[in-house]
Amino acid sequence: MKGITKEKLNQLLQALSGDYQVFVPAKTSDTVTKFQPYGEGVQMFWQENTLLSPKDIFFPQTEKMYKFKTKGMSVDIATITPPDAPKILFGIRSCDVQSIDCMDKVFLTRGYEDEFYKTRRENTLLFALACSTHADTCFCTSMGIDPQQASLADVQMSDVGDAFALEAKTPAGEEVLKKFDANLVELSNPKIVPLDEILIHVDMEGVSEKLEGMFEHPLWDEVSSKCIGCSTCTYLCPTCYCFDIDSKLHGEDGTKIRCWDCCMFSEYSRMAGGHNPRPSKKERVRNRFMDKLLYNKKRHGQVFCVGCGRCVAKCPVNLEIATIIQKVKEAAI
Amino acid sequence: MSDISQKMRDVAKKLLQDGTVSLVIGWEKGNLWYKSAPAFISLPEDADRLVFDDFCYHNLSKYLIDRRDMDGKITIFVKGCDSRSLIGMIQDKQIAREKLYIIGIPCPGMKEDKAAVGKKPGADLPEAKKCALCVNPNPLIYDELIGEKAPDREKKNDEILEKVEAMSQDEKYEFWQEQFSTCIRCYACRNVCPVCTCRECCFDSSAPQWLGKAENPSENSFYHLTRALHMAGRCVGCGECERVCPMGLPVMLLNRKLTKEVESLFNESPAGTVMEDMAAMNHYRLDDPEEFM
Repeated sequence: MKGITKEKLNQLLQALSGDYQVFVPAKTSDTVTKFQPYGEGVQMFWQENTLLSPKDIFFPQTEKMYKFKTKGMSVDIATITPPDAPKILFGIRSCDVQSIDCMDKVFLTRGYEDEFYKTRRENTLLFALACSTHADTCFCTSMGIDPQQASLADVQMSDVGDAFALEAKTPAGEEVLKKFDANLVELSNPKIVPLDEILIHVDMEGVSEKLEGMFEHPLWDEVSSKCIGCSTCTYLCPTCYCFDIDSKLHGEDGTKIRCWDCCMFSEYSRMAGGHNPRPSKKERVRNRFMDKLLYNKKRHGQVFCVGCGRCVAKCPVNLEIATIIQKVKEAAI
Repeated sequence: MSDISQKMRDVAKKLLQDGTVSLVIGWEKGNLWYKSAPAFISLPEDADRLVFDDFCYHNLSKYLIDRRDMDGKITIFVKGCDSRSLIGMIQDKQIAREKLYIIGIPCPGMKEDKAAVGKKPGADLPEAKKCALCVNPNPLIYDELIGEKAPDREKKNDEILEKVEAMSQDEKYEFWQEQFSTCIRCYACRNVCPVCTCRECCFDSSAPQWLGKAENPSENSFYHLTRALHMAGRCVGCGECERVCPMGLPVMLLNRKLTKEVESLFNESPAGTVMEDMAAMNHYRLDDPEEFM
């Protein structure tokens, strides 16, 4: 089995950076960890998954779509091409890999390809990291995900103590490992560091199907009471994809931008004329969990929760999907 | 503290059973040992969910805003800081005093849940960051008090604020630009704040659009600085805004600076400490100080 010693990791990353933009999990401040392009001064972070998910690499929080200049009744439009350089997501975990699969379904399937997402997403290699350490709040195993084998990985990385073992999983993965073979070593008898016990377990059996009949269930009044209607869960969630479109105007010149939006905001579904089909927190909270656990399952064939636990960790009032799944499971119909 | 939990359950059960109130707002356990959460109890048999422990840092008074027109009275449990925001809300006529049966709990200080991550239940934890500068551990308004009065807390120096005040203009700019570029505009700080009670927040307005939707240091600065000015002199120091920030921004720094400015300019009692004294920015007197104008 080929691999890279942790001591020589920087050398490999430097070599890869010659041909690819390499994103690594990094600590950017005392309180923030996120995926950043590898470079000098980047403080890599391996202890647990990043606070911000890597979704902003393909779906940035604020994205310029095109520039326009108005001239009387006509308008000139200048396209803005998203960056399409080859990328490597190095050290992305199984949960986030699964979330990329979900986002691909949203942005690339069912008859429409989102050009912005597609351009950023193409030419990307996934070097998935098998988890040996994890946060209190992880529950990927309950969502059908193997923390040590990522579904879409081009290369599966595993922590074997003083090194990462690298196993190619796709032809593209094989090609890149062959190309950079000079930087790798043969590992003798590598043993994957086992994962410590996951604390949170939920039973997803039958939950999506049960939700079909629970639109009017009193559960939603109860669980929505404590929600404060912020977008913490949504912005940290690796499978949340809603966006709004806005313009930034300077006289005759403007830029069309798209930016993350959140269905928990009170004005999210407000329409011209003032009508709002989701007028209270109950409708909005219900929609969020129905969307994650039922609607996307019907639309794309998979539940849109990967058990990354970011909402569990950061919701100001501990309103998180693991407990909701349990409550749905136990709810009397 | 478990003794307080039992008292909470007993009083909640009684108030619901005899129909004095139709809703009790308190706290219950979350899904990890270091997480508690707001609880909404309307049936006496559910009162056993109520707890008071080291992680009951949530200021529950914000939840009254959506419920001020509901049938029946509401019981709310408040710590010292929470009671200040209740006084502020009653002064602002955001909730009628007669609507509430307030139960005060003297607070020993909460523990820092962020320090508990990865630790086993019962691990030794530091005091919560938001409690560091507390001088009001005892509720200032209540119909009933449960628990022993908490000892007075010594007023400490605001070292973090002093450090930023000592920076040069350029250093301050760099510092705040770094903070504001980390903000993801989740609005958790605004939504949790018991003083932020506008029916329609100016930042949610699309016509006119006061704040652009783009997330960048410029828009983020505008949001934070504007909100801080709207809070000036009204912030009660509960620290919820900083606690809920997922990115760890020092939101309270702005509020504490403005509180300090208002207190020195207008020399009035701190917001939400005396029912008869409205927050400095909420009233006008002919003899208001104006030398600085």
